[in-house]
Amino acid sequence: MTSLPGLAAASAWNRRGTLSLVALSIALATLLLLSFERVRLDVRDNFASAVSGTDLVVGARTGPIQLMLYAVFRLGGATNSIRMDSVRAVEQHRAVAWVVPLSLGDSHRGFPVLGTTTAYFERFRYGEQQPLVLAQGSPFSGDLDGLYGAVLGAEVAQRLGYQLGSSLVLAHGSGTLPGSEHADKPFTVVGILAPTGTPVDRTVHISLQALEAIHLDWSAGVPMKGLSIPAEQARKFDLEPKQVTAALVGLKGRAAVFNVQRFVNEYEGEPLMAVLPGVALDELWTVVGVGEKVLVALSGLVALVSLAGLVATVLAGLNERRRELAVLRAVGAGPRHVLWLLALEGLLVTLAGVMLGVLASAALIGLAGPLVQSAYGIALTLAAPNATQWLLLAGVLAAGVLASLVPGVRAYRLSLADGLAPRS
Amino acid sequence: MITLRDVRYAWPRAARDVLAIDALDIGAGETVFLHGPSGCGKSTLLSLLAGVLLPREGSVTLAGRCWSELPAAARDRHRADHVGYLFQQFNLLPWLPVIDNVLLGCRFSPARSARAAQRSGSPVAQARTLLQRVGLPQDAWARAARELSVGQQQRVAAARALIGAPEVVIADEPTSALDAALREGFMDVLLGECRAGGSTLVFVSHDERLAARFDRALSLPELNRAAREATA
Amino acid sequence: MNRRLILMMALALAAPLAPAQDKPAARPGHTEITWDELVPADWDPLKQFKDMNFGVLSDADPRAAAMLKKMREVWDNAPVNNQMDGRAIRIPGYIVPLEEGKNGMTEFLLVPYFGACIHSPPPPANQIIHVKPKSPAKGFKSMDKVWVDGTLRTLRSDTFMGVSSYRMEAVGIERYVEKPAK
Repeated sequence: MTSLPGLAAASAWNRRGTLSLVALSIALATLLLLSFERVRLDVRDNFASAVSGTDLVVGARTGPIQLMLYAVFRLGGATNSIRMDSVRAVEQHRAVAWVVPLSLGDSHRGFPVLGTTTAYFERFRYGEQQPLVLAQGSPFSGDLDGLYGAVLGAEVAQRLGYQLGSSLVLAHGSGTLPGSEHADKPFTVVGILAPTGTPVDRTVHISLQALEAIHLDWSAGVPMKGLSIPAEQARKFDLEPKQVTAALVGLKGRAAVFNVQRFVNEYEGEPLMAVLPGVALDELWTVVGVGEKVLVALSGLVALVSLAGLVATVLAGLNERRRELAVLRAVGAGPRHVLWLLALEGLLVTLAGVMLGVLASAALIGLAGPLVQSAYGIALTLAAPNATQWLLLAGVLAAGVLASLVPGVRAYRLSLADGLAPRS
Repeated sequence: MITLRDVRYAWPRAARDVLAIDALDIGAGETVFLHGPSGCGKSTLLSLLAGVLLPREGSVTLAGRCWSELPAAARDRHRADHVGYLFQQFNLLPWLPVIDNVLLGCRFSPARSARAAQRSGSPVAQARTLLQRVGLPQDAWARAARELSVGQQQRVAAARALIGAPEVVIADEPTSALDAALREGFMDVLLGECRAGGSTLVFVSHDERLAARFDRALSLPELNRAAREATA
Repeated sequence: MNRRLILMMALALAAPLAPAQDKPAARPGHTEITWDELVPADWDPLKQFKDMNFGVLSDADPRAAAMLKKMREVWDNAPVNNQMDGRAIRIPGYIVPLEEGKNGMTEFLLVPYFGACIHSPPPPANQIIHVKPKSPAKGFKSMDKVWVDGTLRTLRSDTFMGVSSYRMEAVGIERYVEKPAK
């Protein structure tokens, strides 16, 4: 015997040509809704995990979001720099436990270069207060003997195939112009970090002194003509950093954060700004949130359009099916069975579309994930749908059923009116 | 088995009745031939007999229940349980396999599937038996209905109308689309099966030559007072 | 007179959170308190300014700026009310996030007024609570208004600030709902 769902399935399969187009557009809507939600969540997770255990980020008085994006996530443009002695003054504050200065600007084959102190490897935390772990080797020594030592993030080492002892040349700025390389001062890999799932993985770490050294014979972004200081001789110069991009600050007690922040904001030596990472991130999400709402609305519209297509397709085909409906009436199906039949057909098509969309979303994340990881340092997770995503899927299905009721009701009325003698 | 009393039917928004029948009785197991020219209301009468349409006055009783007393869902069930219906053509769902089309006759009636199972062990077995008896080759059983010829489709339709031994089989010009050769064969099958199962058969056609094979022949224009009054 | 002034100031700070609004019930064993209870009864920050007459100074006078700075220092060194140590309390406040993981917020500061890190001067030391939720709090963000239930602790050690501060392990965090104006 053919059950009603079986009948609906056979009926839908019979018209699979046009219905598959409808299913495809539903799949597209599902793909958009699911992928967008996944990306949104993963971006937030990644950003939230990028820095932990840091009470304040100190930088030039620009904007909190800009400072966070550049200093912590290595995204966006360079902010102004701050003087190293300002950083030292902050370090002297009685409530401050440690500072880690950061200097950005150079790159290596598309990956950002970070100049910092050895305190970075001790103090920096990510995720849930997890410290940095070296998979191989050791941090750079921070003194003049190991001047040209570099520590690579996991992604850099893996993508460029570097190991301990590999040699690399850094480039000034984003490094796309020829002649912008610090070719005379190559670095050696002395350590490779374990993967963290944060922008640390994409970063090449060197000491602040080394950063000074490679810029000794440069001025305003270009090498000075006629002046060339070989790598070994650079040690003889004063390599103490004068300027840095930002500093991570840890306090002895977290409740003192407002006081230190006010101290930094009112510092008379230089226009400085201290940012609470959590607060700055929330500001970022507020700004981003507007765009997110627009994207969600657009995805919802796509879903609506595809369901309208479903309704239109089924409605258009109803006239030809009046004889089929009469056959069903003749064997004892009531008008409500006819309604159910059409509602089930619509549900099956929507279900097919949704499942296709789920698969496509997984495929998209799986394929695009590594690309996004290496370009932005954001890890996209391939996971089962979370609560919100299930809700979205259920919403699409429910909307599909509701939409199919439209031709269902029409078929109901037709079969009532036609009885056993359809007029077509 | 079927009783009509003082039945009056008019199309919605029509001024005059199209059917007016004072009395009609059809007994169980009778084969009745109903004829009349095109447009005299034969299909309308069949719809009334099958409970698809309700008279505005009077009663139509089939298998002990009056259609007007039953609510819509109950009417559909009653029809599924007691009536097998045959159209002139397009009897089958074209995309459904032949055997499933036959089984449609039982799909909406647990009573009929029970009876079919009683006869042959299971509804599917009964369907196969019927398909054999109507002369449809076995290799056609799994094919989609649209792949069959018109004659074959009508035979399948007969099997569907007969599965589960409904008390009444109503046929609305089932042979009009068949040529002479097929017509005789079809009539043999239909009448044979109805008589064997004890089903009442109400057969409508404009071709009076078929009348001889039936127990009773009725002329709708004579039966229908509304028609007589209209021409009078 | 000055003490009353302080209390009034503190009350004014806590006014936006006056418990006249519609609120969910406190957890059993947690008493609802207001922010001024965190200020010890004998604290008198304006003691040293008692003899000064603010009226004679103009706003641009450098002495006014110096005095403000001094007042700020006193504010920073505000002592905690040791009688509050170990009490199970329920208190409303605004969230300043410190640590956030995948499952929610794991550390935050609770302050008595909005914008405590952006616009207004920061609250005195005894008006900040360092809260660690027992399980990560999901769905809250910077400057959300919440009720927090937990056991208050005062740090007695001689810390960076020279005085103690408040800590709390929170067992419950709920969104603060405003009663609609009638």
